[in-house]
Amino acid sequence: MTDMSIAWSEDYACGLNSGARGLAGLLRPVKAEALAAPAAEPAWTASGDRPLIELRKVSKSFGPVIALDNLEATILPGELVTVVGPSGCGKSTLFNILAGLEEPDPGNILRFRGKSSAASELLGQVSFMPQRDLLLPWRNVIDNAILALEIEGMPRAQARAEALKMLPEFGLSGFEAQYPNQLSGGMRQRVALMRTFLFKRDLMLLDEPFGALDALTRTMMQRWLLDVWQKHRRTVLFITHDVDEAIFLGDRVLVMTARPGKVKLEQKIDLPRPRKADIVTSPEFVGLKKTLLDAIEEESMKSFMTSGH
Amino acid sequence: MSTVAASSNARRIGRGFAGAFLLAAIWELSVRGFNLPTYVLPSVSSILAGMVADAGKLAAAARFTAAEALTGYLLGCVIGIAAAVGVSMVPRTRSAVMSVATAINSVPVVAYSPLVLLWLGIGMTSKIVMVAVAVSFTVFLSTVAGLDRVDRKSIDLVRSFGAGRMAVLWRLRLPTALPLIIAGMRVSTVRSVIVAIVTEMLGAYGGLGWVIYQAVLQIDFVQVWAAIIVASAISLCFFGVISFIEQRYIFWR
Ligand SMILES: Nc1ncnc2c1ncn2[C@@H]1O[C@H](COP(=O)(O)OP(=O)(O)O)[C@@H](O)[C@H]1O
Ligand SMILES: [Mg+2]
Repeated sequence: MTDMSIAWSEDYACGLNSGARGLAGLLRPVKAEALAAPAAEPAWTASGDRPLIELRKVSKSFGPVIALDNLEATILPGELVTVVGPSGCGKSTLFNILAGLEEPDPGNILRFRGKSSAASELLGQVSFMPQRDLLLPWRNVIDNAILALEIEGMPRAQARAEALKMLPEFGLSGFEAQYPNQLSGGMRQRVALMRTFLFKRDLMLLDEPFGALDALTRTMMQRWLLDVWQKHRRTVLFITHDVDEAIFLGDRVLVMTARPGKVKLEQKIDLPRPRKADIVTSPEFVGLKKTLLDAIEEESMKSFMTSGH
Repeated sequence: MSTVAASSNARRIGRGFAGAFLLAAIWELSVRGFNLPTYVLPSVSSILAGMVADAGKLAAAARFTAAEALTGYLLGCVIGIAAAVGVSMVPRTRSAVMSVATAINSVPVVAYSPLVLLWLGIGMTSKIVMVAVAVSFTVFLSTVAGLDRVDRKSIDLVRSFGAGRMAVLWRLRLPTALPLIIAGMRVSTVRSVIVAIVTEMLGAYGGLGWVIYQAVLQIDFVQVWAAIIVASAISLCFFGVISFIEQRYIFWR
């Protein structure tokens, strides 16, 4: 899985609809970054990029249940932002809004590339990976991976050829003809990730992608995701319930409050990249973890009390 | 894996033949042993002899019935699937259509045969229509159940990729429903032959049901049995073909 020999970044173009800036963000000198330390600097501190996504006063209620309450957040191009929070605090709801699947309550402001938008305008503009892998059992690995491309109208043969090139990078070489029920959990997750990556949009939403994996597989997948992300430089929003994961991966961590959810704490993670596995024992890491755990614990207690267990 | 499946299939078919052979042997022996009169039960050997003697007539009747059953079956499948897709695309029609379908389906379809004969005459059309009606209800109900199995999250996923209603239907709903659609189609095979034969008995110019009816009038029980056996063979082949397709192409769950 450490074999990252495939470099296809030059001919890699993001979604048809991406503006010039989005493209620039994606095609930043990938080659140079892949080599060493300069990659350390998070994209958004480097330049005065305008935000890719801006959320102001975003609320969402389902009948009497208020899932989100005046959530505010800003995501800059090229960032990897992780989101943690007690379960049921509205993280998946936030993603559904960003994917265009749910409309927030009226009165919200949602700006996508600076342009005020309704959530539904984001349908087809964001690559979304839901909490479950949702692979289609009648499609083999390669055909699951190209689902989004097919829906976009790309001819099957061309989509397959493109996906085949990506298989090694996702650790799936030789598995293209397997069906989902023949794959391990980690592999299914990688197929789902590949499907998300092949749908080339500026913003990627990953909802607890490694949540169901065992600890070892999960660590492997985290390192692998960082490698892939550093090569392709997509903007990523990543939900997790694992604080270590949130710090290890993120440029920033958003801690959400118990329901109704909003952002309680926004923690910048200044750890240098590329990050090695042993970074989790460094004093900086441990310090960050303590800050975040304190915030999360407070919220978890709240949701524990209100849910009346 | 497929060779394992194939060999287990071969074993099943082999066992089926062995069972049929055993049944025939017991049948033959008891008819001879108890000296049963032909109108109670003719011996297997006399039925086989009758089949050979009447081979031409039986083959023509079999073709006739098979054509009716198959045409009606295909029509019924298309109508059933199309109606189910329509109902699921326009949810407002659903409760009305479902209650009418359930009401009509609660009476065995053959009860309508005399009326259909009256309306459409005793030619092939009336049989084809009866078969189509019987098959379409079964296939309709199983397709609706299948289309309902799609979960909300999967629909959301493909919508997030920009899929419209047709793309959701084509790439997600129909494939999800396929196992239940085929199961409904499998059950319908036998039904289609039964309905064709029963309707033929009520009035026809040909077909196995007509042969059976005529033979009863002529007190020719050997021929009745010969026609029944040919009808069973047609049903079984039909069922086997659809089961084979099901096993071959519905490999998930
Ligand atoms: N479609 C829906 N209908 C009703 N309630 C919902 C719906 N989606 C989410 N909720 C509720 O909103 C709250 C937040 O859910 P969710 O966003 O899934 O939380 P998280 O992903 O943080 O665990 C939960 O209480 C959940 O029951
Ligand atoms: Mg969730």
